[in-house]
Amino acid sequence: MADLLNIDNLHLEFHTYDGVVKVLAGVDLKMQRGDVLGLVGETGCGKSMTALSVPRLIPMPPGKITAGRVTFNGEDILSKTESEMEAFRARHVGMIFQDPVTNLNPLFTIREQLVDAVLYQRAQGQKVPGRWRGFLPSVRQMRKDAHDRAVELMRLTGIPDGDKRIYDYPHQFSGGMRQRVLIAMALAGDPDLLIADEPTTALDVTIQAQILRLIRSLVKQLGLTVLLITHNLGVVARSCERVAVMYSGRVIEESPVRELFKNPKHPYTRGLIAAVPQKDISRGGLEGIPGMIPNLIDPPAGCRFHPRCPQVMDICRSAVPPAVSVGADHSAACFLYPEDA
Amino acid sequence: MSPLLEVNNLQKHFPVRGGLLNRIVSDFRAVDDVSFALREGKTLGLVGESGSGKTTIGKCILRLLEPTAGQILYDGADITHLKQRDLRRLRGEIQMIYQAPAASLNGRMTVGGIIGEPLWIHEGLKGDVARERVLELMNVVGLKEEHYYRYPHEFSGGQQQRIGIARALAVQPRLIVLDEPTSALDVSVQAQILNLLQDLQDQFDLTYLFISHDLGVVRYMCDEVALLYLGKIVEVAETEVIFEAPKHPYTQALISAIPEPDPDMQREEIILRGELSSSPLMHRGGGCPFAPRCHAEKLATCETVLPSLVEVERQHQVACHLHPPISIAEVH
Repeated sequence: MADLLNIDNLHLEFHTYDGVVKVLAGVDLKMQRGDVLGLVGETGCGKSMTALSVPRLIPMPPGKITAGRVTFNGEDILSKTESEMEAFRARHVGMIFQDPVTNLNPLFTIREQLVDAVLYQRAQGQKVPGRWRGFLPSVRQMRKDAHDRAVELMRLTGIPDGDKRIYDYPHQFSGGMRQRVLIAMALAGDPDLLIADEPTTALDVTIQAQILRLIRSLVKQLGLTVLLITHNLGVVARSCERVAVMYSGRVIEESPVRELFKNPKHPYTRGLIAAVPQKDISRGGLEGIPGMIPNLIDPPAGCRFHPRCPQVMDICRSAVPPAVSVGADHSAACFLYPEDA
Repeated sequence: MSPLLEVNNLQKHFPVRGGLLNRIVSDFRAVDDVSFALREGKTLGLVGESGSGKTTIGKCILRLLEPTAGQILYDGADITHLKQRDLRRLRGEIQMIYQAPAASLNGRMTVGGIIGEPLWIHEGLKGDVARERVLELMNVVGLKEEHYYRYPHEFSGGQQQRIGIARALAVQPRLIVLDEPTSALDVSVQAQILNLLQDLQDQFDLTYLFISHDLGVVRYMCDEVALLYLGKIVEVAETEVIFEAPKHPYTQALISAIPEPDPDMQREEIILRGELSSSPLMHRGGGCPFAPRCHAEKLATCETVLPSLVEVERQHQVACHLHPPISIAEVH
């Protein structure tokens, strides 16, 4: 099956006064339709930047893509013009973010914001030549349809009394409900891909459980493809089918969820899993990863994890390890594993 | 052994203003009748969702907020109404470590200045003597000597938290209130800080009040856990008991909601209806505050009578009508 999304060797830099920040250094990521892929990593590893480069939301300058390709449904995204991108974003990609407070405008009701999203997406969907415009439904009719669609979206995302609450302002909603509104907004254009960037980080655990369940049910109901970005391995274990672990601008391991937790290959993945306080770890038994995430202006040569790696070898200091297959549908970028394995 | 810290019927109400003249129309009961005890050298976890009152309790213990009612005993002495001068002595004994390391450090002071300030305030130490002590403290928390003249913004989140810990340790406290000390940190760094906190506890015989919303971290750090819901304690027990045999429906739901990094884990997932705010905020004794979200079978009394915190088993207190207190006969 053809890939829905294919990110190939993506390199991204930011030019700052301190120097060139090498944010992404060769990201490879593939997603098929219907996939639920978790993108995991710590602060600054480039997981959000990878996701933002799909709808091309990275400001350029200061950002600059120096190498690589992003294709979506076979179309090359990086070569599209800005107006083509607008249509692309409206119809193919929905996005939700970490903070549901700052992503809603406090001065407008939910209705105005949702209806706007629906109308915008429809306008992008139908580029009608001028001479046919007379046959379009009236503006009033379009707004009415959009309103109905907005209420429908609120029902879909589990907001009770959507037909009444749609007239409320964002501050009248709780955090979990705001996140549902944002999911509704992201779904306005029937997107193929939903990018969820830390959607539950700002929420309490009981609300997090509700939102994750909602996302799973949307995947089933609508056949959505989801790219779930998170730093929480527990969230991944609960919601995703596949995981890609990022470290300092590269995907260093990718596999199905169970395989990753049962049989992690990359030393970083192992360290990350060992650092989560789990059930049977007694006092003093928790292991951290020594050191800190590398400086991206002057990253370590070779494998960027080598200064913190417990199994570092000479070759790690000079060469960048390629991703090699380490099992069925399981790849890792580490020299511990021979290339032909 | 008498506990190091004892909190009895603590209440903290905040006024809610409204109406034409901005009068006080009611009060918000952030902490409502909370009692617990903390033994020396132990760690008690205070767990709850945002808005449950955990930080308010922490601040009341340090008297950074004035409790509305109730009593706080530290080392047997009532500290609820201490005067300003005596408070300074108290704060040499009780220290706090905050959630946002960057916001709790003065950006205009060097690391040496930040860690040295409590030494100056509490012990009058200055100059080389103070510097010596500061360097010792920095060594204890894993900072290097060359960090002495640097500023907080030059450090990563984990390193900043180490500075905050060194500052709290400077006055040689016996009790430290840790308010979400690792929730702003990445997991690999969180593990480092948690281990550091445990080492320090063993080394200096510290007592911790550990405030957190992360049950995984609490399970790792605490000897005992108290769960808060809307300013009330709903369940207290030893950590193992809470995690293995939770009684209160809220505790059960919270524990089932921990995302465990184990895809094979089979368990019943309890999804709560609604959110904290869907219970009336100005809840006034009319039944159990958790009743509107409760997934367990409801009794008639749930909506009308406020359940009190009772011992249902030895060392295990629950505030729920479904769990009647053990009778006195059973204890003996």
